[in-house]
Amino acid sequence: MSNYSVPSNLRFSETHEWVEDLGNNKYRIGISDFAAQHVGDITYVELPEINEDVDNESVVCNIETVKSSEDINNQISGTVVTINEMLSENPEIVGADCYGDGWLYEVQSDSDEDFKALMSADEYDKFLDEQDDE
Amino acid sequence: MQKTPLFEKHVAMGATMAEFGGWDMPLWYKTGQTAEHKATRENCGLFDICHMGEYIVTGKDSYAFWQKILTNDVTKIVDGQAQYNFMLNEKGCVIDDCIVYRFNEEKWMLVVNAGTQESDFEWLCKNKLPDMELKNISATTGKLDLQGPTAPKLVAELAGREAIEDLKFFRFAENVNICGINVLLSRTGYTGEIGFEIYCDINDVVKLWDLLLEKGQSYGIMAAGLGARDTLRLEAGLPLSGHEVRPDVVATGTPWEFAISHEHEFIGKEALEAQKGTVFAYAITVEGRRKPGDHSKVMLNGREIGVLTSEIISVSLGMVPAGFIRTDTELAPESEIELLNEKGKSFKAFVKETPLVKGTSRKKMASML
Repeated sequence: MSNYSVPSNLRFSETHEWVEDLGNNKYRIGISDFAAQHVGDITYVELPEINEDVDNESVVCNIETVKSSEDINNQISGTVVTINEMLSENPEIVGADCYGDGWLYEVQSDSDEDFKALMSADEYDKFLDEQDDE
Repeated sequence: MQKTPLFEKHVAMGATMAEFGGWDMPLWYKTGQTAEHKATRENCGLFDICHMGEYIVTGKDSYAFWQKILTNDVTKIVDGQAQYNFMLNEKGCVIDDCIVYRFNEEKWMLVVNAGTQESDFEWLCKNKLPDMELKNISATTGKLDLQGPTAPKLVAELAGREAIEDLKFFRFAENVNICGINVLLSRTGYTGEIGFEIYCDINDVVKLWDLLLEKGQSYGIMAAGLGARDTLRLEAGLPLSGHEVRPDVVATGTPWEFAISHEHEFIGKEALEAQKGTVFAYAITVEGRRKPGDHSKVMLNGREIGVLTSEIISVSLGMVPAGFIRTDTELAPESEIELLNEKGKSFKAFVKETPLVKGTSRKKMASML
């Protein structure tokens, strides 16, 4: 097991985004504990626009920290239906509560194909473990 | 990647590690970069800088060697004094910035950056004079940086007040005893705050690290990583080798002209003077909350005049984006410029005098005890 928090109800990408199935092909996206610990202190989050059509693996979100800027890779093709409004004034929540109040945006897709292609929590945990060993 | 003796400590403390100059170093600990930055400005931060390079130069030709190799005038410093310098190549560009320490007229130490340790030594060997010895002691030297307004009180408690009460800015003391550990205590640093670069035998550095962190608790000490080190140095108006000073950019027109004396002949002087007025470096702050992004172009009245060389969010200025730029145009303080990033987004910025944040580095030691 890795040293990072990996909730079992989520699926994960190799670039450390998590995706939650909200039902009816609607998905919530955020960054994992591993990513939150590695990006550092977050100062700004650039989110996609509501009603924006987004492709799988395109960059639609950017997280800025005191030291750097990190692109977030979208994992679900579809239309952005909700963004986390709290982050405009409190971007640090993404780091402090990455699986809770620190979610980024929600996408309405027309299938579960992209979701199923992601790693399960166990697979991601193993993936992180292998990264730590490198 | 190389590791310092403190690597296991950093990992055990939950540090986020990253490669720097060929070394596996802590970017920040679980405390986070912002807290580590603030701790250094308000109390004290402790940095592992064992990765830097140290060389000892001895012999009758030492003086002449430094005058040949270094831009600043070492005749201005006395025994127990250090001096900030550039080493230039023949094109007048900075191979590395460094600090030279004078023990006496025939014994000196040069401290250089981690990433250029090997190439700097090769350069020194190439330019060695007949009656001198040059020794690379990097592998046997441990180095910690203790910086911040409470650092003097901590060191006074551990080494005795008399060890530091008369230590002026950029002066150093040898054979200082910190709880049985023999150190060279140098009142230098890279943060703009009062503090000490502490040199010891490599075999003592882990013990020294633990001791300072333990005894420093009542002084608000916090272990701090390279992330905070970068935001602190930029606020203090100091360059980063490879960014503001680099071997393909002539060392003219910068806020660090104090490191260059035109009274002696040094390698690169002719090229430096011939290119005066062709390039400039400035500190800036940016309007808004966001950093423009690496490699952003500097624009003035629609014309591209330069490039962004470093950027941070300045914690001490209230989370304001700030940075350094390099331009081909001379600019006055408070000049308004535009930064254009690779995505075509425009940012308004202003030239500022350095330091962006004035720290405690030059305070009288007695007033900090």
